[in-house]
Amino acid sequence: MDAVVKRIVREVKRGNQEAFAELVELYKDKVYHIAYRMLGNAHEAQDVSQEAFLRAYTNIHSYDENRKFSTWIFRIATNLAIDRLRKKKPDFHLEDKVGGTENLDYYSQFASEEALPEEQVVKLEMQEWIQQEIMQLPPKYRSAVILKYLEDLSLKEISEILNLPVPTVKTRIHRGREALRKKLGDV
Amino acid sequence: MACSHEYYKLMHEYLDENMPLTEAKKFEAHMQECPACEQHLKELKKTVAIVQSASHFEAPEGLTREVMNQLPKQNQSQKWQNWLRRHPFLVTAAAFFLVFLLSLSAGFDGEEEIMVKGDGHFIVDESRKVVIIPEDSTIQGDLLIRNGNVEVNGEIEGDITVIHGEHLQASTARIAGDIEEVNNTMEWIWYEIKEFSREVLPFSSNGEEE
Repeated sequence: MDAVVKRIVREVKRGNQEAFAELVELYKDKVYHIAYRMLGNAHEAQDVSQEAFLRAYTNIHSYDENRKFSTWIFRIATNLAIDRLRKKKPDFHLEDKVGGTENLDYYSQFASEEALPEEQVVKLEMQEWIQQEIMQLPPKYRSAVILKYLEDLSLKEISEILNLPVPTVKTRIHRGREALRKKLGDV
Repeated sequence: MACSHEYYKLMHEYLDENMPLTEAKKFEAHMQECPACEQHLKELKKTVAIVQSASHFEAPEGLTREVMNQLPKQNQSQKWQNWLRRHPFLVTAAAFFLVFLLSLSAGFDGEEEIMVKGDGHFIVDESRKVVIIPEDSTIQGDLLIRNGNVEVNGEIEGDITVIHGEHLQASTARIAGDIEEVNNTMEWIWYEIKEFSREVLPFSSNGEEE
C-alpha cells in the first residue's frame, strides 16, 4: 500500500495529473468521514473534502514522501474543518443547537439502500444521537476523539495530524471522553 | 460518590493502555474497592464502545470527478509530455524509426554517383549511367546497382537489385535469381528495412534458405 501510494505521489509530482485521481480514490472515504464527523453536515463535509484534495494537489511538492500520506491529507482536512467551524461560530457553546444534523442529510449518507426495518431505524436513531453528542464537543476535543476512536489512529499519528505534542493529545482525548461520558455513559 | 481527582486521571491513563503493569494492578485493586470509581470506569468504557460503533460514511459519488474537474488545467504540451513519459519504449522506437527514415530518404535522393556491388567482370559506362555485363562474363552471387541502369548480356548467378534505375536484358542473359527495381522512396525504405533485418537478424534469412 505504501509503495503504491509513493509511486502515485511521484507520478503526480512529475506532473501526471491523471494519477491524482488514484490518490483521491484511495483516501476520499476517510477524508470525507473525518470531515463529516467534524462538521456534522454532508454538504460541508463534501466541500471540505474537495478543498482538502485540491490543496493536497497544489502543495504536493511540500509533501515529504517519508511520512504517511494519510497523516498529511488528514491534517489538511482537519485544519480546513476547524477553520470552517471557527468562521461559522466564533463563540462555541456546548449548549448550541447542532447545525446540519437534519434527517435528510443523515439518512442519505448510508451506503445501503435497503428498506428500513425497525431494528435499522433504531440503529439510525442511535447513530444520529452519537453524531449529535460528538458535535457538542468543542472542536479541539472533537478532532482528537474522532481520530482516536473513529479512525483508530495512534496517539503519535494524531499528534502529527493535529500538530500537537502527544501529552496534549492525550489530555484532549481524556476531556472529550469525559464530556461524552456525561451524555452517553448513563444510558 | 466521588473519589479523589488522582484516580480520575489514572483512569484515563488506564484506558489509554499505557500504564505500567504494577500501577495497573494497583489501579484495578482500587476499582474493586471503590464503587464510584468502578461505575465511572464502566461508563467511560461504554462511552468508548458507543462512539466506536458509529458507522463509517462513504464519500458521495462523484467526489473524485469533482476534484479532478477543479484541478488547475494543464496545457496540451504538458499532457503530451506525460504521455511520452509513460511510454518511453514507444518513444525511443519512434525516434529511432524517424532517424532511420530520414537518413534513408536522404541517401535515396542525395547520391547521384553510379555504384555497383557484385563479384565478377562488368563495364561501367559513366556517361550513359549504364552498367554492362558482357556476354562472356559471369557474376557470382548477387548484383546491386545504384543510380544507374543495367544491361545484362551475360550470366548472373544470384539476384539483381537496381536502385534508381532500370534493367535491360539481352537474349543471351541468364539470371538465376530475382530481379528487383527500386524506384521510389517507399520502395527504397522497404528494401533497406529488409536488408537491415537480414543483417541484424541472420537467423531469419538462414531460415528462409533452408
